[in-house]
Amino acid sequence: MQLFGLTALSLSIVFITYVLGKMLAGFEDGQNISFMLGLVGGGCFLASFVFSYFTSNAMGSSYITLPASAFEKWLCGILITSVFYLVLFLLFYRFIDTLFVGIYHRNLDANGPFYRQLYDQVQIFPYDGFIANKAILLFINFSGAMLVGSLYFNKVNFIKVALLICGFLLGSWVLNLFIARAMIQHVNNAMPYWFVFINVNKDEGRIELPEDIMEVVTIFIQFIIPATLWMLAWLRLKEKEF
Amino acid sequence: MIEITNLSFGYNKKKLLYKNFTLSLKAGSIYGLLGKNGAGKSTLLKNLIGLLFPTNGGILVNGFSPKRRLPSFLETIYFIPEEVYVPSLTIDRYINLFAPFYPKFNKENMIRHLEELDVKTADKLNTLSFGQQKKFIIAFGLACNTKVLLLDEPTNGLDIPSKKRFRKLIAAEMNDDRMIFISTHQIRDLDNLIDRVVIVDEGELLLNASVATIAEKLLFTTVDEMPTGVKILYAEESLLGISVVTENKNITESKVNLEHLFNAVTENPEMISQIFNN
Repeated sequence: MQLFGLTALSLSIVFITYVLGKMLAGFEDGQNISFMLGLVGGGCFLASFVFSYFTSNAMGSSYITLPASAFEKWLCGILITSVFYLVLFLLFYRFIDTLFVGIYHRNLDANGPFYRQLYDQVQIFPYDGFIANKAILLFINFSGAMLVGSLYFNKVNFIKVALLICGFLLGSWVLNLFIARAMIQHVNNAMPYWFVFINVNKDEGRIELPEDIMEVVTIFIQFIIPATLWMLAWLRLKEKEF
Repeated sequence: MIEITNLSFGYNKKKLLYKNFTLSLKAGSIYGLLGKNGAGKSTLLKNLIGLLFPTNGGILVNGFSPKRRLPSFLETIYFIPEEVYVPSLTIDRYINLFAPFYPKFNKENMIRHLEELDVKTADKLNTLSFGQQKKFIIAFGLACNTKVLLLDEPTNGLDIPSKKRFRKLIAAEMNDDRMIFISTHQIRDLDNLIDRVVIVDEGELLLNASVATIAEKLLFTTVDEMPTGVKILYAEESLLGISVVTENKNITESKVNLEHLFNAVTENPEMISQIFNN
């Protein structure tokens, strides 16, 4: 019941963010912000609750001693966070997006001078676009980290794991920048596994990873890290003492 | 049914709570596990159900190693912790959801247990008082008909009539294929219920004997003056005189007082060991 409540809460926040974002920052930014927040934020929040039985002795004992294998319990967690929530979120998001975009298009004056331009300006959020790809990438990695974290930290695991993720991202960015500056001159910024910005006279140039290496890195981030996190969650659940 | 061999366990690896602890528990008995606060009673039960893993040594429960937490093992054992958890479900929904995990679950028994323990509600279980929630879990645990039932401080939170009903229910549900292991520091709650007593202190097994054997080996009596010529294991002044626990050399019949027995055993473990090993 708690998970249903959290899912409903998350989807409500997505709806509110979409509406507010659209009003305050425009359609495209509203779409991007609400999609990112709903999938990454909501997904991580839900993932941190899936194994939250260990906040009390009574709940933890009841969960561990339930006659089901660690694999079955783990699989339930994975299905809830990575399949159930993802599918539900994408369906819900497409529904509200279609609704609002449809209302916008219907309210345009078809005989107005900029009708085509205004019509094309607002489109349904593409699930195969750059933002959606990055959001899904972040979602599978961060929700995996949340699952593992909730099995290591018995109390306030969401905050602890969120701090760890922020610390990791900040640390890897600083380290990456440090290494890049040691090797290349005039480095402006260096994002781990992605690109390096360098100052060339008054312009800024962008160095990207070679395509084949980028492919390896993408496979690593898309598949290897999430799979490792999920595996780690299963092993931890098997070995969890309480 | 339960075989503990050379168990070592500690929350801190440098300071073990149990060291080379060996204990054997058979089916057909209600065991009372007695010990002081912090003696490791709950820890022992948690090792038996697989919530904690031994540092060393082996545990076998119904032929399974609890550490592996196989579903086939977990459906033969039910653990009622001191603090129970009930989700936000009605009684019927709870039974529909959790009973299928226990193949020998008997719904008619469950309903009867609830009536006997006076648990009646159409509301969600989490709205009940702690005592009512605990009685519900006790009723459910008994209805699961598992071979082993572990209860950690089951009478904590129960009112006086409920404690009496609890004793009656446990006694009625006992059979030769079952073993019930009750850990408590409220010794009086187990009076006339347990048939074997296990006393642990500082990680050591001080006593594992049937109530009949205890009555045969020890004499529980009240006297006006301290007796001479016998080993006095425990003495306590009361309004009626001096309650003493002595060695029962003349095989005199007396009723075992669990509280006095516990004090006698924890204060004179070596003398108890001599008496029971002879």
